[in-house]
Amino acid sequence: MTVVAEIRKLRVETGGRAIVDGVDVRLVAGRITALVGASGSGKTTTGLALLGAYPAGARVSGEVRTVDGLVGYVPQHPGAVLNPARRAGALLHDIARVQTRAMPRAERRAAARERVLHALSLAQLPDGETLLRRYPHQLSGGQQQRLVLAQALLVGARVVVADEPTTGQDALTKRRVVDQLAEVARQGIAVLLLSHDLDVVQALADEVLVMRDGNVVESGPADRLWHAPRHPWTRELLATPPASAGPAPAEGAGPVLQVRDLTARHGGTVVLRADVLSLGAGGCLAVVGRSGSGKTTLARCLAGLHRDHDGDVLLDGVPLPRSLRARSRGQLASVQYVFQDARAAFDEHRPVVDQVARTAVRLRGVAPDRARAEALDALAGLGLTGEPVRRGPDELSGGELQRAALARAVLARPQVLVCDEITSGLDTVTRRSLLDVLAALRRTRPDMGLILITHDLDVAALATHVVVLDGGELVEQGPTREVLSRPRHPFTVSLTETSALLTARARV
Amino acid sequence: MSGVRSWVVRRLLLGLGQTAAVVLLVFALTEALPGDAAVVLAGDQPDPDRIAAIREAMELDRPAHERLLDWAAGLLHGDFGTSLVSDRPVSTYLADGFGPTLLLAGLTVALLVPTGVGLGVLAARHEGRFVDRLVSSTTLGVYAVPEFAFGVLLITVFALRLGWLPPTAVGYGTDLLGHPAALVLPVVVLLSRPVCSLARLVRAGMIDALDSPYVAHARRYGLSGVRLRYAHALPNAVAPAAQQLARTIDWLLGGVIVVEALFVIPGLGTVLINAVAERDVPVVQGLAVVFGLSTVVLNLGADLVTHRLTPRAGVAA
Repeated sequence: MTVVAEIRKLRVETGGRAIVDGVDVRLVAGRITALVGASGSGKTTTGLALLGAYPAGARVSGEVRTVDGLVGYVPQHPGAVLNPARRAGALLHDIARVQTRAMPRAERRAAARERVLHALSLAQLPDGETLLRRYPHQLSGGQQQRLVLAQALLVGARVVVADEPTTGQDALTKRRVVDQLAEVARQGIAVLLLSHDLDVVQALADEVLVMRDGNVVESGPADRLWHAPRHPWTRELLATPPASAGPAPAEGAGPVLQVRDLTARHGGTVVLRADVLSLGAGGCLAVVGRSGSGKTTLARCLAGLHRDHDGDVLLDGVPLPRSLRARSRGQLASVQYVFQDARAAFDEHRPVVDQVARTAVRLRGVAPDRARAEALDALAGLGLTGEPVRRGPDELSGGELQRAALARAVLARPQVLVCDEITSGLDTVTRRSLLDVLAALRRTRPDMGLILITHDLDVAALATHVVVLDGGELVEQGPTREVLSRPRHPFTVSLTETSALLTARARV
Repeated sequence: MSGVRSWVVRRLLLGLGQTAAVVLLVFALTEALPGDAAVVLAGDQPDPDRIAAIREAMELDRPAHERLLDWAAGLLHGDFGTSLVSDRPVSTYLADGFGPTLLLAGLTVALLVPTGVGLGVLAARHEGRFVDRLVSSTTLGVYAVPEFAFGVLLITVFALRLGWLPPTAVGYGTDLLGHPAALVLPVVVLLSRPVCSLARLVRAGMIDALDSPYVAHARRYGLSGVRLRYAHALPNAVAPAAQQLARTIDWLLGGVIVVEALFVIPGLGTVLINAVAERDVPVVQGLAVVFGLSTVVLNLGADLVTHRLTPRAGVAA
């Protein structure tokens, strides 16, 4: 047991408030230590302390020790640490150049290249050489993540801090990330995993520290923690999600939304084909699939945000115009969309309640005063009350903003509400409460059809029907219980299996 | 890449259209000015009959659109027409004036880029500290001084008081390279304001870039300060500066009239002033074509550089 990094009695204070208080972490070579907790619990601050990075103006006390100061970092958004103006390989080449400086001039170039390729293969980027010539924005999120990991491996870091490496990823990608981090640990590197994704933590971690409000409330070996959590907060965090919110209301008479012979393109390439799809009034349809399978394109076609398609989208039997601009007010109000990134969906300079009320003014012609009252009502109905909603969006957390976005969409009194990955990127507790909100919405608005775009099978379980997309093709559809318990298409099988596997691995 | 290529072609076509519009506008404006070349030539004896005769001899009595069409037809096979005043081909005016202007512009740019970028990076490295405050306040101060005032000041001190440098280029003709001393003051005056604006832009961009997560990441992995600043931060900082540089070069190639007049340098600016004074429409039009084309090409170049430096942004227009 070689301790390669240690944090003792760390306290980080900003603006007179301690965001991390009295945290002790010991990282051992070849072992994975996980910090879990809701967003804002101090995980990232603790992780960044290992890198010697603190929030601006923070007061820091305590001790942070690393063996040779070399700590690798894989941030939540790996794109942020890749230089947008340089090709992807720029930093790797520069690191290798520093390392080969002592060699004879003639050998340097070949040796540097050798090192870069070795690091890439360790990070499971075997075809890395072509990749290095691209710009960061031309790489997928997964490739960016592996590239950043390769940088840490090339530097020879003894410790790697991985911040939310699986947030917003589908089950198959998650499994790849899990394998990859396990492989990093096998190479004798200590991994500090910051995550609120409990499946992944369970599958990977040797040691778990549960954080809340800047304190470690419980720590111990993963097995012990999972099977006998001592602290009530740990128990709440680990509680299995409630079985999906009761039987859904019976579907109304005719389908409210239908899709016929839809073929959507991006430029010249067909990205989605959907022959028949229908959503009954009050029904709930989950669209599942990996990232890039065409889920979002389907949703955007329905909402009029993607014009480049053939075939029809029918609302109450009447074809909707393809373009948002060509849709009437009533049509706009009937199909509402809630985006994945709630923060980007709000103007940061206007009070949230005004932005929510605007829907009623614009789409239903309600007078501003009444719209504001309705907006406050709708927000309160989703659990948002008090002063913060009268201020800017930066006063609300990600989960609260997503509720506000839901309230804004519902205020249009839509017949169809499209939710695009609205729970990804949220921690377990917040995600669960948002799912409760959705279930409650279904009860209070029984006539509203709901479309959930998701790669999370837990979310899909909320729906009455499931459609599975793979590579732009509609590979399976049917009642939720049937599809998830007896998947027929090989892709659906693999999707449910990987989810099960992630959980199963964790139990071993 | 094909996207970029078709974009370049579209931009060039658009640029040709813009140049044609500039030429039309210039023609219309010179037509609208009171008097014409005949009046100027008649000089001290403004006898209406004499003016009419001159007008007829110069074919100025023909309708404006015919003269414009003739001139445009000539332009298509490279003929800029002949000067109304001297009967010399316009192209010789352009060629004569272009030499000194190009020389001044070239020297200025060659000194401008390293100085401006260097000062900007220096100030950004010491953000908020003495060096930054010194650079920032000096550049702001110098930027506020107009060229003619700065030029007069330099001539007074270095040419008239100290006698180190010639005050003007009078007597050297277009052979300025043979008399480098005469170039020092004009180049310094030309440099003064562009260096300031460039340095301030680079400083702002560098401060952002040095503060970015990708630079912090590269620093964490042990890259040297020089490499960090020039290879990783600077490429992100110079995109706005590239646009400013294109505008500066364009301004220089237009023949900076104030500076040429002050130092009596026979560049394009001087040619332009004389041609306007003499109502020498073909020369003015020829200059409009040259200025228009150089503006189009330079801005295209700057956009290509910006595209290379901010590959995410894609291409527009």
